[in-house]
Amino acid sequence: MHFAWKEKLNLPGLATLAALLLLWEASTRLSPTLQFYFPPLSQILLSLFDLFLAREVVGHCLTTLGRFLGGYLLSAALAVSCGIALGYFRRTYNLCEVLIEFLRPMPSVAIIPVAILFLGIGDRMVVAVTVYACTWPILINTIDGVRNIDGTLIDTGRTFGLSRWTILRKIALPGASPYILTGLRISLPIGLILVTTSEMVVGGGGLGFFILDEERSLRTSNMYAGIILVALLGYLLNRLFLVFESKAMVWHRGMRAEGPV
Amino acid sequence: MKWNKESKLNGLIVLLAVIPIWELVSRGELVNPLFFPPMSKILRSFFLLVFSGDIPYQILLSLKRAAAGYLLAAIVFIPLGIAMGLFGWVHRLLEIIIEMARPIPPPVVVPVAMLFFGLGDEMKVFVIFFSCAWPILLNTFDGVRNIDRILINTARTFRVSRRGAILKVILPAASPQIMTGLRISLAVTLILVVISEMVGSTDGIGYFILDSQRRFKVDQMYAGMLSLAILGYTLNQLFLLFYSSVLAWHKGLISKQR
Repeated sequence: MHFAWKEKLNLPGLATLAALLLLWEASTRLSPTLQFYFPPLSQILLSLFDLFLAREVVGHCLTTLGRFLGGYLLSAALAVSCGIALGYFRRTYNLCEVLIEFLRPMPSVAIIPVAILFLGIGDRMVVAVTVYACTWPILINTIDGVRNIDGTLIDTGRTFGLSRWTILRKIALPGASPYILTGLRISLPIGLILVTTSEMVVGGGGLGFFILDEERSLRTSNMYAGIILVALLGYLLNRLFLVFESKAMVWHRGMRAEGPV
Repeated sequence: MKWNKESKLNGLIVLLAVIPIWELVSRGELVNPLFFPPMSKILRSFFLLVFSGDIPYQILLSLKRAAAGYLLAAIVFIPLGIAMGLFGWVHRLLEIIIEMARPIPPPVVVPVAMLFFGLGDEMKVFVIFFSCAWPILLNTFDGVRNIDRILINTARTFRVSRRGAILKVILPAASPQIMTGLRISLAVTLILVVISEMVGSTDGIGYFILDSQRRFKVDQMYAGMLSLAILGYTLNQLFLLFYSSVLAWHKGLISKQR
């Protein structure tokens, strides 16, 4: 899936893409009514360029990126540490289970109004909402990961007289890391969804606000330019994550390849 | 997962303990009670809203939109995913377009849908349809591609027609992963219906919650969230019920292998 172009150039795929883009360009140029809703691609790219020259959109990009990173990293730190504790100490988990199962199914965007009440409509509110939403997948996966660690590993650690803290840090954390990374990967698009949504709801800068604002001002080509930017942001973040994952999990892949299958 | 009767009781006690603590924090004005009304007040307005039919009405509106988008996505993208898994050329034709459209976060589609469809139901249905597309499509594709080749070749050896092979061999063999896609999409659907109602709507449960907040009817806002949590939980349980009844054979197969 990744780096598909390296293996072989996908000519039919590229041809479909080119045909679609040509169709888009031609049909929107021929029909003025359609042009209003769906400007030709060339026009969208032009306005993207103009927006960059005006520097307006750069600020929105950075705002969104900053909020996303703040919320995502915070939730990663929080959820991984809580998840390891909850996965390791079964009694604590039993106490919290019903609470978690009660909060988890509620769509996380429903927390936005509460966050507005408590934190106003600034950066803090967006970050708080992102933390809340990103926490669940990471937390659940981390708990699962710690549970699925081979009991022998932990018992061996105990036999060698490791302290509980060391066991958590040196055995539970690395042992659960494949699961933790899955949780982190699931949370990545969720974080972006929550940032853009709360920007749409409360306004005040950011790409989500920009897109909705351009739609309401009927500058449609700017709106599409904003969408392209968000998609690009999501794509780059995902790529970055894959690079990080393959760096961090080199040991794991090696282990799987050598071990008996 | 092991289920221990005692553990469930402990968890319930914690949940029940939250209620009086909440009540005390709010009544003692440790947090501004305007933002954090006492639990008794929230529960009262919850029951009032449920019995007056307000919340059930809003939820039914949202459910209608969610169901339309979700089912439409399933009807379109499961066959497409199967076609992509079976025929390499279909996959190659669509691969680049899918990889380009997939990173678009679904909420930014809301303004586009508003432009084309206005604020009506079609807008929400389209947004849900778009956002459910990727989990369903890619899981179906993966499921079909990872089918044991021996199964397909056996069907071919026995001269099963192509249609028969798709219905009797490929669809069942890929169904666990199709189900995974459908399950992920269920959560996505619920999120997107709330988002699209918050951004562009005049009714539905998402609008109800945001509107209560804007009018500072905070107890109603919490009541709406409570009903949303119950809705999410119920839908998930219903799906699990459906899953275990459809895939009972698969569960048996897995436990036998172990």
